[in-house]
This record gives sequence, C-alpha cells and structure tokens, in this order.
Amino acid sequence: MRKLSYGILVLLYFAALLFGAVGCDLNDPDRDVKRLFPESTGYKTIYVSIARKGGEALLRRIEERLGDTFKGLYETADVPYTMYQVFKGQELIGYIHGVNQKGQFGGIQVFLALDLEGTIRAFYFQKLTNQSAKLLRDPAFGRQFVGLNLKDFMPYNVVTGQVKGESRVAAIKNPAPEAESDFRAALRATKKNLILCDEFLLGNRYSKIVSAGGAAYPRTPAANEWWVGGSLARTDGDMP
Amino acid sequence: MLAGLPCFAFSSSYLFFFEAQGIAGYSTALKKAVYFSISQKEAMQKPSLGFDYVQRFSGASGDFAVLAVQARLAVNAEGERTLEPQLYNAYLKLKTRAVDIWIGHNRPKFGLSSSLDNHGQLLQPLSMNGLGFDRDWGVGVEHDYAWGNAGISLTTGSGMPLYFKGNYFLSGRYSRGILNQDNHSVGFSVGYGNVLDVMGYHLMSETPMEFYAAGLDFTVLRNNLEHRLEFMAGGLDRQGIFALFWRTSVGLLEESRLKLEAQPVIVFTKLKAQVQFSVGATYLATADWTLRAMVQYDEEMKDTRFVIQVYYYKGIRL
Repeated sequence: MRKLSYGILVLLYFAALLFGAVGCDLNDPDRDVKRLFPESTGYKTIYVSIARKGGEALLRRIEERLGDTFKGLYETADVPYTMYQVFKGQELIGYIHGVNQKGQFGGIQVFLALDLEGTIRAFYFQKLTNQSAKLLRDPAFGRQFVGLNLKDFMPYNVVTGQVKGESRVAAIKNPAPEAESDFRAALRATKKNLILCDEFLLGNRYSKIVSAGGAAYPRTPAANEWWVGGSLARTDGDMP
Repeated sequence: MLAGLPCFAFSSSYLFFFEAQGIAGYSTALKKAVYFSISQKEAMQKPSLGFDYVQRFSGASGDFAVLAVQARLAVNAEGERTLEPQLYNAYLKLKTRAVDIWIGHNRPKFGLSSSLDNHGQLLQPLSMNGLGFDRDWGVGVEHDYAWGNAGISLTTGSGMPLYFKGNYFLSGRYSRGILNQDNHSVGFSVGYGNVLDVMGYHLMSETPMEFYAAGLDFTVLRNNLEHRLEFMAGGLDRQGIFALFWRTSVGLLEESRLKLEAQPVIVFTKLKAQVQFSVGATYLATADWTLRAMVQYDEEMKDTRFVIQVYYYKGIRL
C-alpha cells in the first residue's frame, strides 16, 4: 500500500506539469449549430488553449486586449476552448464559440456565432440561472449584439463598464436592471470571446486596436509576437 | 504574412484528462476507517487513478464520429488489497443527419442518471441504488430537438461487466426542456428487461431478474439553487418497487466554488422502505483540485459514513 501511495504522489507531481480545467461546450452542437446557422450542413469541433498556442506571453497579450486580468476557475492559460467551425457542404461559413464567465450566481456561459469576418450574427446565453434570466435570454436582448465585432468592443472597459469614445456597445441596453452584474458579465464575456476568436480563428484581424482599460496593462516585449505555423512571427503591419 | 492566417495548427481534435482521487472515511457500522464512499463492491468511489479521453473524427464537411474512453485503476483497500481496473465510457458515437448512434459502454437511456454527470461525485442517483445502471454495454440511438431530447438504448443489463446470461435491458427516455437554456427539464423514462444483479464488477446472482419501471424526473435551476427530483415505479424480481430521489443544492462563494447538497433516497421494496439520507459539500479549490465531503445515513445497514474525497482532474497535451 505504501508503494502505491508513493506511486500516486509521483504521478500527481508529474500531473502538476500538465494543463488545466474544462472549457465551455455547446450542450447539443447538432441542434445549436443548425439553429444559429440554418444553412449549415455540418460542423467541425476543434480544441485550442492559450498554453498550447503561446503560453504566458499570449495570456498577457489577451489580458491586455481585454483590459483586465484573467482570474478564477475558468480563466487560466491551460483551459481548453472548444470552437466550432461551421460548414455548408465543404465551405466554411462561420464559427461558434462560448466562454465561461463569473456571474452573479456562479458561472454564466455566453456563446457567439460569428461570420468569417468575426462579426456577430447571434448572441445567446447557454447557462444563466439568474431569476431575471428570461429578460436577458429574450431574443431582443441578443439582437443588440448582432452586427458588432471586436472593433466595437475594444472601447468598452470591462472593469468600469464605461465606453471610451464612440462605440455601438454603448447602445446595448440592460432589460433587467436587477441583474446588472450579469449584464456586465455578459459584456465582458462577449469581449473576451471575440478576442479569443480573433486569436484562434481569425488570425488576429483586430489585433491593432487598443482596448479601453488597456493602459493598465502596458504592452510587454512579447505582446507583439506569437506562435504562428510553428515559428515565432512578428505581427507588425498586419491589420484587419 | 503568416500572422494574418487562422492558426488551426495549434488546434487538436481530442481532449485527454488525467484523473486521481483519494477517498477515506469512517463507518459507524463497521466501526473502522473505510476507503470507499458507498461500498467496496461498488465501482464508485474508491482511491483511483484514471483518464478521460474524447477523440473527434471529422472530414472535409464536419464531424462524423466521437470516440470516448474513460477508465480508472481503483484500489480495493478492504481485506487483501487489490487493484481493480474499471471501464466507464468506452463507446463510439456516429453522427448521422437524423440521429446519433452509439455502440459500446455508455449511459443507458433511463432515468435522471442518463443526463447527470456523477463520475467524480460522492452523492449518487438512483442508478447506484439498484434502479437502472450508471453504465451498460450495448447500443443506443438519440436525437436532440429544439424542445429537448429523446432516445432509446438496448443494453446487456449487466452494468460495468459484460455478461451474456440471457440478460438484456431495453429503455428509453423523453425529456422536455433544455436545462442550461430553460433552467428546467422534465424527463419520462421507461425500461424493461431481464437484468443481472451486480454491484460494480461483482455479480451477485447468476440468474437474470425481470425488471420493469417507469420514471419521472424534474430538474430546476434558479439563482444559486438546484433541485433534482425523480420518482420511479415498477417491479424487480417479481416484487413491486417504488423509489424517490431528491437532491437539492445551493452554490455559495464566487463562481459557486462551494456547493452544499442534501439528498434523501427512499426505495420501497418487499413491503419495507430503505431510507438513505446524505448531505455533502463540494469545494472547487482550483481549476484542477476539488475537495468533497459526505455524511450518509443508511437505515437498512444501520450505518453512518463520513467520507472525504480529494479529486484531481487535469488535461494532458499529448
């Protein structure tokens, strides 16, 4: 028994070198993909993680773009993100991705359906247990996000909830004032989601837009570079 | 130039998680320390090392199949210590336009447990109280609709081990409501078969028993509260059986890191009631480490068990 205990301890030590918690899946991709992309004929599921693509340097850059630090159970470099590439026949027509976000009562899950340009074509909560959930789940609330992209969300400061300059995000109204914290969480989740999609799916189309609140996270030397195609590539000059 | 391209080179089509757990407790009936949560003969929970693997297969136009394998090597610490290999998920799911079809070792389509992930938990649903199976060998067909889910399965009725002694279990479940979107769901299940009396990998009787049951289950989420309720009625080995399961949970602290649960289970058989009452606490210490504790009173065994669990679950990049 003692040998077994030592064995378990050794395995746990090595396990500590591994990567982290579970990400955010669609409850039923077949149903949800068809609902969000009625013209689709199939989808492909891929798993990505910050740790795998760029490690701490990439995490720092994502935090800088978000204008806030990653924290909590579901905001670590090693969380695997589940991303869905949506097809019509063999033609890629869009993406779906969801993120976990700390909410008023535990976690919430915010999913976005994006076109190939990274523009939101659908927003919805997968998980939201707030008693005001019905108002926030109303399609009218989700429609306020349709047509927006990361460029619209970069002026939104996820810490203060303020919009710096002009942005269509300022026009998004909270239908449930008693659920203000979940409303703010939804906006933060949307910005985080768009940044992750930009990093993992869109080839950083929007990487040069400075985030509101980003001043608190000065760019590190590593912030302009990340792993591409197996080699560290400079990104200067690549604009959407 | 490369920086402008999507970086799918960093994506993968699988997830692989390493799992480890330590279990220790005290049984008032046995008057000694125990290293299991329910019984040494049951598969869950015992000190173990394991893994959880999901592989997706896709072609040019999308996913067409999923392979899931989930296994543990558990320690039987009572008496002569032995190691017990345990296979939970071991199925291939094929996706067609109409339905998903699985074959292998999976959750049979019966009862609340078919939609509840209790793989690492101390508190267990009715399937671990002799009504249905947590996992079973066979085939299943299911489909998710805008309003919920429906499916059927034909399994061996032998649970964790695979036996062919004239045993089988045919079951189906129909549910309305998508829990995470509607915050409620209702399920109706029926099952019929000649099933084997098994506890984990232990065959308790060589002769299959007739089992038939219908069940109704409800789940409701509201703010930081969860309620899961299940009724089941039918017959087992020519005896009428009625069961009630209710689990209520409250999530506390940021991100609901602390969850407190209470769970009564009552099974009426042979004109007597078996009452089991459990309370539990789960604390998510980090993204990888979870601490659980349970106190369970079992009236039939005249036993109160105090159990603690340290649970670790972490992804591996292969």
